[in-house]
Amino acid sequence: MDAALIQSIIQGLLMGGLYAAVGLGMSMIFGIVRITNLAHGDFLILACYISLIFMGVINNPIVTLVFVVPIMFFIGFSMQRSLLNRVIGRGDEPPLLITFGLSIIVQNLLLYFFTADAQRLHSNLLLESISLGERVRIPVLWLISCIVGVAIILVLGLYMKNTYMGRAIRATSDDTEAAQLVGVNIKSAYGIAMGIAMMTAAVSGVFIGMVFTFYPSTGPSYLIIAFAVVVIGGIGSIYGTLAAGLIFGLAQVVGGYIVGPQYQQLIGYVILLIMLVLRPQGLFQR
Amino acid sequence: MKLLDLFRIQNTANSKIRLAAIVAAVVVLMTLPSWGGGYAVFIVTLMGIYITLGMMWNLLAGYSGLVSLGLQMYIGVGAFALAALSNYYGVPLVIGLLLGGVVSMVIAVGLSYLLLRMRGMYFAIATWMFAEAMVLLLVNFEYFGRGQGLFVLAARSLSETEKYYFSIVMLLVVLLVVVLLLRSRLGLGLFAIRDNDVASQTSGVPLFKSKLIVMMVTGFITGVCGGVYYIAFVWIQPYSAFSITTWTVAAVFIVVIGGIGTITGPIVGGVIYVFLSQYLSTLTWMGSLNMVILGVIAVAVIIVAPKGIVGTLQHRFGFEIISARRWMKGYVTDRLPDHI
Repeated sequence: MDAALIQSIIQGLLMGGLYAAVGLGMSMIFGIVRITNLAHGDFLILACYISLIFMGVINNPIVTLVFVVPIMFFIGFSMQRSLLNRVIGRGDEPPLLITFGLSIIVQNLLLYFFTADAQRLHSNLLLESISLGERVRIPVLWLISCIVGVAIILVLGLYMKNTYMGRAIRATSDDTEAAQLVGVNIKSAYGIAMGIAMMTAAVSGVFIGMVFTFYPSTGPSYLIIAFAVVVIGGIGSIYGTLAAGLIFGLAQVVGGYIVGPQYQQLIGYVILLIMLVLRPQGLFQR
Repeated sequence: MKLLDLFRIQNTANSKIRLAAIVAAVVVLMTLPSWGGGYAVFIVTLMGIYITLGMMWNLLAGYSGLVSLGLQMYIGVGAFALAALSNYYGVPLVIGLLLGGVVSMVIAVGLSYLLLRMRGMYFAIATWMFAEAMVLLLVNFEYFGRGQGLFVLAARSLSETEKYYFSIVMLLVVLLVVVLLLRSRLGLGLFAIRDNDVASQTSGVPLFKSKLIVMMVTGFITGVCGGVYYIAFVWIQPYSAFSITTWTVAAVFIVVIGGIGTITGPIVGGVIYVFLSQYLSTLTWMGSLNMVILGVIAVAVIIVAPKGIVGTLQHRFGFEIISARRWMKGYVTDRLPDHI
């Protein structure tokens, strides 16, 4: 097998770990609160810009997470409590349209304050790589992103299984009324679930911002990645999300290697559409 | 006699006033260029286009339960088909518009077989994906001018008045078509599907067929609408013709503000949208904040007044200017049912 293909496979898998983290928050909200957060990608980019602000003080994007993650939790929690909880139970359309509105609001606020210039969260790690054989290299930053992505998924899996709030959230997702009967405050559970989803968006967002350039209108392309991960992985399945991220990342990069890198985005759309048509319940549905 | 039922106006005490108001509005619109200023003509041209767009999104989301995020695909397809036919083959603009609509409709039929298997959010995202995939494909062709797009060359010599009539005739025809469609047997079925699809299917409403017809109608009309817009603005830039933020955002705003699932809602919403966006674009210091304002208004309306302006007024005062429902002869009421 030639080195360029091996390189593509490695990069696809590494990117897939990060993709899984991008889709994780969306999958959670889809499964638990049962709404599609069309602003997921934009909040991810918002996290990049919040990190960019702190970069003025701390010159290391990974350290800015100490601030970015709690801020994003607060944003998610208050968004759920003040806006989305008000329309729960009114059908699918109102929450979908509210998050669509939020997506436009966030994008254009970012455009207003930060202009349309491409940005990147500069990190010394970007140029480092580990050599494997002659022409195959593992970029260190991609490796770290992938490890962090997988770590978030494992931590969230443990949290959902072993803590009171995690169990309450899962109970709410399984049977809202029964959860209420045993004393779960479901509005609060939804708020915390959205907060956690935004924390995962914050972490994956900052790594995305270190690996790729971003500008205010890049949000929707990450929404599409997140949605693809949700659709391939099946709704609400945390480990399915991980597998889906790896599959999607691999398919996109290797597909781009075969057809030509300029079609990478189109390949992503086509994979997603094929999944939607043939198996919308996902590959790993419980 | 059945046909007459379709046209009957709600038979209340003031139905004659209502009829007179509708006729007066049509007369005013048809004669506007002879007495109105250039700016008024331009504004109403825009309104005709945006109200048509709003009515199409409303027909999908408000009457058929199909929340689409991909109407921009038909706009782009209709516009590019028009430009290609008119530039390369000298097809007259009116024929080009209709053929552009037909191309959109054919695509809508093809996609319906895939899209109508999906529900809710899957449908929403898939419509958007198809639109995005379409523009990524289209910009590869020299025939469609790659990333630069095409000019509708024949439209450069049109006067503002001619562009106005393209828009306003389209609007009036579409309004009539939508009212008749909703009052027909198909429309009755759509109400049933929207309210409870399983129950309506067991009562014999053809679910797939009804939705397919709605997809065809919206495909055709939105394609024509795209053509009319680019006759007015001449240059079709592919990324903006297929842009969700140019088209779907406008359509959602118009319908949400005006009132989802009402006939007059998109008219009120479209008028507000055009005035508001024109006013905001004069405040150059605001830059992209004008979109933020539109977004905040829409989100606030969904939470506070989910029926929109027209829906809320209808609910409170119990009147409808143009009703989607059929009225039987001799049936007199001033009350509307709570759930329209």
